[in-house]
Amino acid sequence: MRVSGTQVSNQTDEAALIARVRDGDQAAMAGLYDRYSGIVYGVALRVLGNTSAAEDLVQEVFLQLWRNPQAFDADRGKLAPWLAVIARNRAIDLLRKRPMEDDIDELPISTGVNLEDEASQRLAISKVRGVLGQLPADQRRLLEMAFFEGLTHTEIASKTGEPLGTVKTRIRSGLLALRKAFS
Amino acid sequence: MKEHAQYADSLALYAMHGLDDEREMAELREHLDSCGECRRELEALRADVALLALSTSGPQPPQRSRERLMQAIAAEPRIQHKHKSRFVLGRLQPRWLRLAPTLVAVLVLIASVALVRENLHLRDTRDRLARELQDQRGRAALAMEVMQMMNDSSLPRMTLVSARNVPQPQVKTIYQPQKGHVLLMANNLPVLPDDKVYELWLLPSTGAAPMAAGTFSPDPKGSALMLHAMQDGGIQAKAFAVTVEPRGGSPTPTMPIQFAPAG
Repeated sequence: MRVSGTQVSNQTDEAALIARVRDGDQAAMAGLYDRYSGIVYGVALRVLGNTSAAEDLVQEVFLQLWRNPQAFDADRGKLAPWLAVIARNRAIDLLRKRPMEDDIDELPISTGVNLEDEASQRLAISKVRGVLGQLPADQRRLLEMAFFEGLTHTEIASKTGEPLGTVKTRIRSGLLALRKAFS
Repeated sequence: MKEHAQYADSLALYAMHGLDDEREMAELREHLDSCGECRRELEALRADVALLALSTSGPQPPQRSRERLMQAIAAEPRIQHKHKSRFVLGRLQPRWLRLAPTLVAVLVLIASVALVRENLHLRDTRDRLARELQDQRGRAALAMEVMQMMNDSSLPRMTLVSARNVPQPQVKTIYQPQKGHVLLMANNLPVLPDDKVYELWLLPSTGAAPMAAGTFSPDPKGSALMLHAMQDGGIQAKAFAVTVEPRGGSPTPTMPIQFAPAG
């Protein structure tokens, strides 16, 4: 598949790619896809548990980015975490059969983590997995239930038998452990 | 920070859309509106949540997924967005489909206007046909009456001619006394001024005063045809006569008589 536009190298700045996508540069869009489709696909596959549905979700997310690149503000956040959260929220909507147009969180997501090239992504992924691996199994399970299964705190408390307050506290402390590792 | 402690744990679940207590969410949103520190904490938690998503990275979508996306992109007309707008998922259909409701509404409107116009046109046509039918019925009834009177040899017939003999205007009447109908046919009548008409008079056989039997004006060739219904039937006529009267007719004949029974 040939795409129109100037070639994209691994070093091309993300903001520059977004700007080119806004100008209709298909090669720039292909560049963004090559960089971040793995992140989007990984989240979708983890939540939906189905390769075909995950592929469809990847299409959906990137096609919408092509159609409406202005929705992402490159000055206020990074694209990778933004796409990951959008993919997760949409996958949860599909999983829980929520309406197709549920509100999507559009706020920019600002992390200090460099995810713009494959090596940086591998490093960050390894670090995240390391942190999660060090969490107690039941706390990790709470995070997974909340994030990948889209369960509410009431549902989690009901499933695990933990008090509501404990569920909230342990989920938050798990996220803070991730933050600490990257600070 | 103690002030925010009661919200801190909830913020993490809020960042994952994991709160389901409406009252708690409303309180939290109200607090977020007025607390910059909690808003910053929420933003940081959202970044933490995004890091969590990275733990799943590894599997890559198949190559066909990339090709499918590029084909979809190439097939789409590029629309430049001037302003930031919502990033709404769940709409993989072609962009033009977004305009479908508007297009449908416009088409329905156009169709409605066309139907209204068609309806008005059909009403006009119906009314016109009804009028034509009524006219035709009237003409058919007249023709039928004429035919019946002309075919009825028992009815008295009279031919009126000009007293001056030349030219030779001629007035014929056929009278149906039971119905009180008089049919008049005239030829070669002198044309009258606009304020004058010919008036036919029935002269009762009883010798009573002449009775008005209709006014008429000949066409430019001097011909006239009139079917008049007397107010009452059963009047026997001794004769008919024609006078010239002011337009609208007169209660009594104005002399001289223009046409009278021949012989």
